[in-house]
Amino acid sequence: MVCPFCGLGCDDLTVEIEGEAVTALPPACGNAARLFARGGSTEAAPLVNGAPVELASAVAAAARMLAGSRATLFAGLGADVAGLRALVALAETVGGVLDHDASPGLFRALSTAQRRGWIATTIAEVRNRADVVLVIGADPTPTFGRAFERLVPPRPAYAQGPRRVIFLGGEPGETARAQLAHAEVTVVPVAGSLADALVLLEALLAGRRPVADGAVGALRSLAEILGRARYAAVIFEAAALPEEEGDLVVEAAVALVDTLNLKTRAGILPLGGRDDVIGANQVMLWRIGFPLRTAVRAGGTGHDPAAFATGQAAHDTEVMVWTSAFRPVPPPAFAGRTIALAHWQTPFASPPEVFIPVATPGIDHGGHVFRTDTVVSLPLKALRRSSLPSVADIARAITAQAHGRAR
Amino acid sequence: MKLRLKGGRVVDPANSGTSLVRDIVVHDGRIVPEEAADGTEDTYNVDGHVVMAGGIDLHSHIAGGKVNLARMLMHEDRRAHPEPPGPLCGCGGGHAVPTAHATGCRYAEMGYTAVFEPAVVATNARQMHLEMSDIPLLDTGGYLVLGNDDLLLEMLAEGAGRQAIRDYVGWMLEATQCMAIKVVNPGGINAFKFNGRRLDLDEAGPHYALTPRRILTALIGAVTDLGLAHPIHLHGCNLGVPGNVETTLDTIGAAEGLPLHLTHVQFHAYGTEGERRFSSGAARIAEAVNANPNISIDVGQVMFGQTVTASADLMSQYRNRGIADPKRWIGMDIECDSACGVVPFRYRDKSFVNALQWAIGLELFLLVEDPWRIFLTTDHPNGAPFSTYPHLIRLLMDKAFRDAEMEKLHPAVRAHTNLASIRREYTLEEIAIITRAAPARIHGLSDRGHLGPGAVADIVVYPDNGDREAMFSRARWLFKAGRPVVRDGEVIDLVEGQTIVARPGFDRHIEGRIVRHFDERIGLKAAHFRIADEEIRDGAGPLIAGRG
Repeated sequence: MVCPFCGLGCDDLTVEIEGEAVTALPPACGNAARLFARGGSTEAAPLVNGAPVELASAVAAAARMLAGSRATLFAGLGADVAGLRALVALAETVGGVLDHDASPGLFRALSTAQRRGWIATTIAEVRNRADVVLVIGADPTPTFGRAFERLVPPRPAYAQGPRRVIFLGGEPGETARAQLAHAEVTVVPVAGSLADALVLLEALLAGRRPVADGAVGALRSLAEILGRARYAAVIFEAAALPEEEGDLVVEAAVALVDTLNLKTRAGILPLGGRDDVIGANQVMLWRIGFPLRTAVRAGGTGHDPAAFATGQAAHDTEVMVWTSAFRPVPPPAFAGRTIALAHWQTPFASPPEVFIPVATPGIDHGGHVFRTDTVVSLPLKALRRSSLPSVADIARAITAQAHGRAR
Repeated sequence: MKLRLKGGRVVDPANSGTSLVRDIVVHDGRIVPEEAADGTEDTYNVDGHVVMAGGIDLHSHIAGGKVNLARMLMHEDRRAHPEPPGPLCGCGGGHAVPTAHATGCRYAEMGYTAVFEPAVVATNARQMHLEMSDIPLLDTGGYLVLGNDDLLLEMLAEGAGRQAIRDYVGWMLEATQCMAIKVVNPGGINAFKFNGRRLDLDEAGPHYALTPRRILTALIGAVTDLGLAHPIHLHGCNLGVPGNVETTLDTIGAAEGLPLHLTHVQFHAYGTEGERRFSSGAARIAEAVNANPNISIDVGQVMFGQTVTASADLMSQYRNRGIADPKRWIGMDIECDSACGVVPFRYRDKSFVNALQWAIGLELFLLVEDPWRIFLTTDHPNGAPFSTYPHLIRLLMDKAFRDAEMEKLHPAVRAHTNLASIRREYTLEEIAIITRAAPARIHGLSDRGHLGPGAVADIVVYPDNGDREAMFSRARWLFKAGRPVVRDGEVIDLVEGQTIVARPGFDRHIEGRIVRHFDERIGLKAAHFRIADEEIRDGAGPLIAGRG
């Protein structure tokens, strides 16, 4: 079955199911095993102001709060495609800002993609075509447990000669090294700025004389390797790039790939996609016409990657709808009132006004999630019978009630 | 629901060569003979109006990954075209690449009821179907892109038999829930992944040593053997390259008399004559189309203004990246399957090249004689957004208007086109053929595109306005399966469309090889690649063509 959690989209897992208990077996990675694990019953009642209520009362309370809200933020957005479509429909009815919990990594990549574009590639292309894989920044395997097993298997279809995997400014951990046992792994440390190193690398490849000469040595041989590659894949975990220069690293990586493509082939593959953030962005684009971080308002829908980021938007929000169906993630600190459509184990710092425990896509019900490369979306199946409602069910029920109340 | 449209001028070329004033009677979503009327029908007096079947667009990029990438790049366009007020069109905005919702509404306002997405990358087909669930008012369908997929090329290079290719194509069509096969720059997209920068019809590509001609003829054979209604829908080699008229003529020859549809031919009709080394090849192509009844084309007309080009043909889009306007573009190699390239572009009437492209498109429309083998398209959004269709229709129907528009263009263009000397004006009957009757016929959709008994009651009523642009911009009425959904150019009701698929039979033994390919190469299970019926249109499932 399909794993819906990190965005790598592994779909070769097997699980043991006994009643409501679920256990993911190898080759599931550690993260997947933890997130799939379900003990016995997960009966959890909706709460309004901390008191258990019938689902219908919780839905009615949420609809009342939204109808009375002058500024609503739909945050978290951890849901499958059907849940996201229903949440967007709710936002279309009552208005509000939409942003995903994993947006910081996504927008680090989009800041370049929206402004200048890029040449990208996908998982199967890297698997089969990339003779050189450049990993920028931190080893992604702690987040994407099977990253190199999936991206750099031992027998590619078209890449010739030994495969080279180069870590620039990061060190492969034990898991990565084990998955790359068949490949030639090189580590190129970066003392200062990762973005500067990439700019220098691009200059070397373009045949320009670098302004700074300091760290040129190791980069010169890296430039030669990349220049000789038939198909270079440039990958990075966007969310794990250094906070202060993450956007610049992405932009420099894109420029590097552009330069490589003048003579050979190359593509960029940002790793991201936790809790269907890619699906959320796709749904926004086809339903609203803007990416995430958009305010849906009658006649004046607008997109602003800074002002409509969760943290910033929360300052001007009365009611936050926090959705996190895949894992127990607490909502961000917030002064207003909260409606939580969330994993039943979500730890709240302060109890939300409305808490509706929801089912997990791919465990409790079927649906769709998108993979990190944005091209492939995967079908999820229910693994067990669950009494928990889906995000789509709840969002539709709230919309039906809010529709009558909204202006 | 029963209704009678009373007293309109019925333009229904699939059933009658001439237009007659007569009533149309609808029972339960289908047209019935007038004698079947029982007097309980809601009557719409449409005296002085023109009645046609709902429009069918056989080539318009309305859904899928590349369309969403275009939306991401075109945020200024979205901002400049906000959603209209009111509950029904609440979240439809954008012009060059409208939202799913706006796509359905804007098409319906012009009287269209079916639109087909012509470039479905197999590994992205599920996204297209998810998006189509959010397109109201239109029936939809997709054409699966094959001809650069590594598994097919590997099979051809190994000398796989005709039957194996047929079975592979049948399996892929079923798995992706598509209705036809599209071929984009056969072998060229794949060659670009091996760093090939161009590939001509008879040039062997890298790695597999296959020529585009070989790939194309194999796929023509497969759709013939599968008995698909729509022939191969071909975006040929060398898109946009001056001199590509020769390639296009060679490609017509490569069909060897079998049915072949050449798409957005305007982009493939360029010569190299004149001091600017860019000239019209439209007359030569029209002559070849006229002489070869197995060939059909759609035009891909260029209209002036801001748009965005989105194509699976990354080899060509990489070549075009320098002319991006605004200066940004996205390319992507996709899953040992296909690719995409998205390049924003503004066609300018004062540009010689753009103005000549405009003239070449119109020459094609006016010089191809048989309206059943030419279709009205702008290759939305590549030549222009679909919302320019009414303007295009006026250009075809109104010689004086056409001449006046030509006056606005780059002056050198008039010396490079014989457009001014072409006197032809399309009749309403011919417009009805190229915008509904012929697209239905070439897809074998026998109950669409016409107004005879048994047809689905997708019916549009236009005011009979001498200004044909105004007339075709805003339908007086549009009925979708017998329900009124547009009145005076405004959407008054939202109904769900259906997604049409083709389901030819094939030998399922091919599945073993496909499963191995997915397991070993793609790293995705074939079972998860395959799209189930329940995934179509929120569980409604597809409408299987030819099975009612």
